[in-house]
Amino acid sequence: MKVVCDRAAVLDALGMASSVVSGRTPSPILHCVKLVASDGRLSIAATDSEIAVRIGVAQVDVQDDGDALVPADKLVQIVRASEDATLTLHAQKQALHIKGADSHFKVLGFDPKEYPPIKDFPESKADCIVNAAQFRRLVTRSLFATAVENSRYAINGVLFERSGRKLRLVATDGRRLAVARGECDSAADGDTRCIIPTKALNILNRLIDDPDASVKVSVDSHQVRFLIGDADDAAMLTSNLVEGSFPPFEDVIPKDQDKRVTIDASELTSAVRRAALLTNQESKGVRLAFGDHRLVLSSRAPEMGEAEIQVEMPEYQGEPIEIGFNPSFIVDALKVIDGGPVMIELKAPNKPGVLKVGQDFTYVVMPVSLA
Amino acid sequence: MPIRVLSPLLVNQIAAGEVVERPASVVKELVENAVDAGAGRIEVSIENGGLDLIQVADDGTGIRADELALAVASHATSKIADPGDLEAISTMGFRGEALASIASVSRLRLLSRPHDVPEGAQIEVEGGTLRPVRPASAAPGTTVLVRTLFFNTPARRKFLRSARAEAGRVSEVVEAIAMAHPAVGFRLEVDGRATIDLPAGQDRRARVVEILGRGLEPELLEIGDETGGEVLAMWGLVGLPRIAKATSKHVRLFLNGRFVTDRTVLHALRESYRGLVEPHRSPVAALFLRVDPHDVDVNVHPAKSEVRFRNPSMIHGLVHRTVLRRLRQADLVPELDLARMGGATPDPKLGGASLGAPSQRSEGHAGPSWTWSGSSAARGPTAPASWSGFDLDAAREVMAGSAPTGPASAEALPTIRFAPEVMQVQRRYLVTQDEHGIVVIDQHALHERVMFERLRERIERGPLESQRLLVPATAEVDAGASEAIDALEPLLMRLGIEATPLGPRTVAVHAFPSLLFERGVEPAPFVQELLTRAADEGLPHEPEAALAEVLDMMACKAAIKSGDRLSESELAELLALRETVERATNCPHGRPTSLRLTVRDLDRQFGRS
Repeated sequence: MKVVCDRAAVLDALGMASSVVSGRTPSPILHCVKLVASDGRLSIAATDSEIAVRIGVAQVDVQDDGDALVPADKLVQIVRASEDATLTLHAQKQALHIKGADSHFKVLGFDPKEYPPIKDFPESKADCIVNAAQFRRLVTRSLFATAVENSRYAINGVLFERSGRKLRLVATDGRRLAVARGECDSAADGDTRCIIPTKALNILNRLIDDPDASVKVSVDSHQVRFLIGDADDAAMLTSNLVEGSFPPFEDVIPKDQDKRVTIDASELTSAVRRAALLTNQESKGVRLAFGDHRLVLSSRAPEMGEAEIQVEMPEYQGEPIEIGFNPSFIVDALKVIDGGPVMIELKAPNKPGVLKVGQDFTYVVMPVSLA
Repeated sequence: MPIRVLSPLLVNQIAAGEVVERPASVVKELVENAVDAGAGRIEVSIENGGLDLIQVADDGTGIRADELALAVASHATSKIADPGDLEAISTMGFRGEALASIASVSRLRLLSRPHDVPEGAQIEVEGGTLRPVRPASAAPGTTVLVRTLFFNTPARRKFLRSARAEAGRVSEVVEAIAMAHPAVGFRLEVDGRATIDLPAGQDRRARVVEILGRGLEPELLEIGDETGGEVLAMWGLVGLPRIAKATSKHVRLFLNGRFVTDRTVLHALRESYRGLVEPHRSPVAALFLRVDPHDVDVNVHPAKSEVRFRNPSMIHGLVHRTVLRRLRQADLVPELDLARMGGATPDPKLGGASLGAPSQRSEGHAGPSWTWSGSSAARGPTAPASWSGFDLDAAREVMAGSAPTGPASAEALPTIRFAPEVMQVQRRYLVTQDEHGIVVIDQHALHERVMFERLRERIERGPLESQRLLVPATAEVDAGASEAIDALEPLLMRLGIEATPLGPRTVAVHAFPSLLFERGVEPAPFVQELLTRAADEGLPHEPEAALAEVLDMMACKAAIKSGDRLSESELAELLALRETVERATNCPHGRPTSLRLTVRDLDRQFGRS
């Protein structure tokens, strides 16, 4: 294998690929990225045995087809530290030579045949095709509500649900639930339902850089595959699915909220953020008092002090209500809806609150008790 | 059987059942009488655990021959005369029934001679039957001989333990009375061998230390609160947490000079040590309370071992406050014992890093060959957390790793205190330094302690903040555990847990403390464990103790685990928290969170001193 490549483009692809590589695995093979030069392009592949990516780099001049398997961290460091516009990657036996204007690195690697095979995207079995910007928005609007990775009992994934051309991504950590809705550009007949690991979706969001590209999705019984773009620099992501069933979330979305108001998202964000300044680890909750044409947010941390923020809210409908929320839960949701009006729906201090942006986004958040 | 008036002997035997339970109670009554008689020296000897012989001899005022018969009659005493005296009892005995009771269940000989009388007299009583008073030669004072105790009440005799166990109880009684009367000399002989020998005229501190064991002196903290003056005052010595014992036998409480047991005071003392000693252990303490006799009723129990305070919460407050304050001042970080680190001891003479105090093994904590010793305690009371006693030169050498000679730069010093560098070892221990030397911290134990204190502080201001769940989490529990929920409800409410039984073996958790959520603790397993523990072992009845136990459980679950990698900022934060939390030296279970290797010990090990 011999390839002259654009350093920035390779660095970009390598950075993404190496984020899949897990530092924890004892297998030296899995610490590597696999480079393949063929058909006039270079592809860089990496896997942690749960998730695999293959990223195409088009800005290359392939002089000899071939492949190489080298440690990801060293290759990234070398390419990043270089100042050349182009680098030559030359595989000889099991070593990769990286040559710049004034440099020559020889990195010892392994036999590429030992690397686990990564299947191509099954074009014929594509489930649906979604606009990349749309897909990224769906992921962003659901992913944040998943539980942090290290909690052992929660579902570390997002429900992907397609019914005809309608698409729904749902995530929860047991205290809140986010439902993002969208539509496919085209779709196969029937329905699809699976749980995609959060790590895979995080990587997927990074792989989308052209908002006008399309994302093709293919789901089988235990894996999901994404193909982002379709040119020489297309990227493919394969991930195992999360096993188990998603909680029955439809029942959790309340239908009988009797207090509602529409408020500007950025105004509410600012108010909640400021009220949260005087909370602490033991008392996180912010009190939201709705009524009398305004919203009063207040917080109290005994050894620090108290905060009170007022927001004018002429259109509030319903009885006055005081309810406590973890401020991060509110801010997290407001962050992903890109400003604009948001509808708040409430029922009682010990019942869920709902944030809605049209039909596209529904967010259910459970309250905290107030001292 | 027709109703009839009991014979005086039977009355006395019944009374004896209350006062004279075992040889130790006889000794207690007789020695207290001797103290009340103004003795300067009291000698006790027993044979066969006191069953064959109990002899108590004093050099007190003595009893005149014509009063001897009265002395062994029931309810005869010189100590009180009219009901008003009962309101303010200052003598140890007063009921006037002890001698009569003892005489009714033994063969008793009372031999006495007042100082101003040339000849003594004696009286013998056998199973309650008085013999005539006879003249006898005697030294000034009184001697009581009790032989064949319980000879006429075989049932009582059956309940006694081995001679050795009974002798042990006698010994405890003599020690207790001796502690309260440091001016009086005491001697106890068990089967001809002296086991206690205390000189007359000691001061209270010396007396207590001598009885607790002189080796323990560095481990004892002196406490005192005299602000109440004559009405309410306290003095005592309390042991450092590390010398806590398995039973509360080592808590000795004296009320106006009388040895008593009192749950109020014992509770206050244990509260002060909560979190410093493991729950089933008890601190070592000798507490002397002075309470206005009008404010305490000692006439509750015939043996006078229990008392009733008019204002128990005031007493509780005094003890708790005073002991707690003293413990906070003390430097409770135990030291690593270099002498036991195996192999590295160049000279056995130099190896004695510990001061010879009994040290506890702590295998699980500090590695197979490290122990912690009590030598820091010697410094504790005098210079807690101060710069005094700090060997600057030695510290410079250690810090700079430089040769012993040559002045080190003085600027290096402030870093010791204000910017402690810290290293995480095996994702389990943190190593840093303070003004005394190297400090090794158990990351889990310290964080657990920090969480515990913060939770406790927080819960005093109201129930923990509770986060509701979207869908109730269900916990599988044993049958019975779900029924425990009702009883636990008030406790669960304070903790911010809302749970309801869903079936005989299922519990639904509707709300859970946000704090635990933040720390990645899942509701169902936690509630499951809590209910199982409550059902199997039972939580303490007292609400505060039960609360502390559950908070402890929460703190443990929420804390950083052994094996967690900590970032630099997390390390710094944890160390900073250590400074803010009281008793950071022990985890809530009472295990140490930190051990210290002093510069002084290092010097010794490196052969510098």
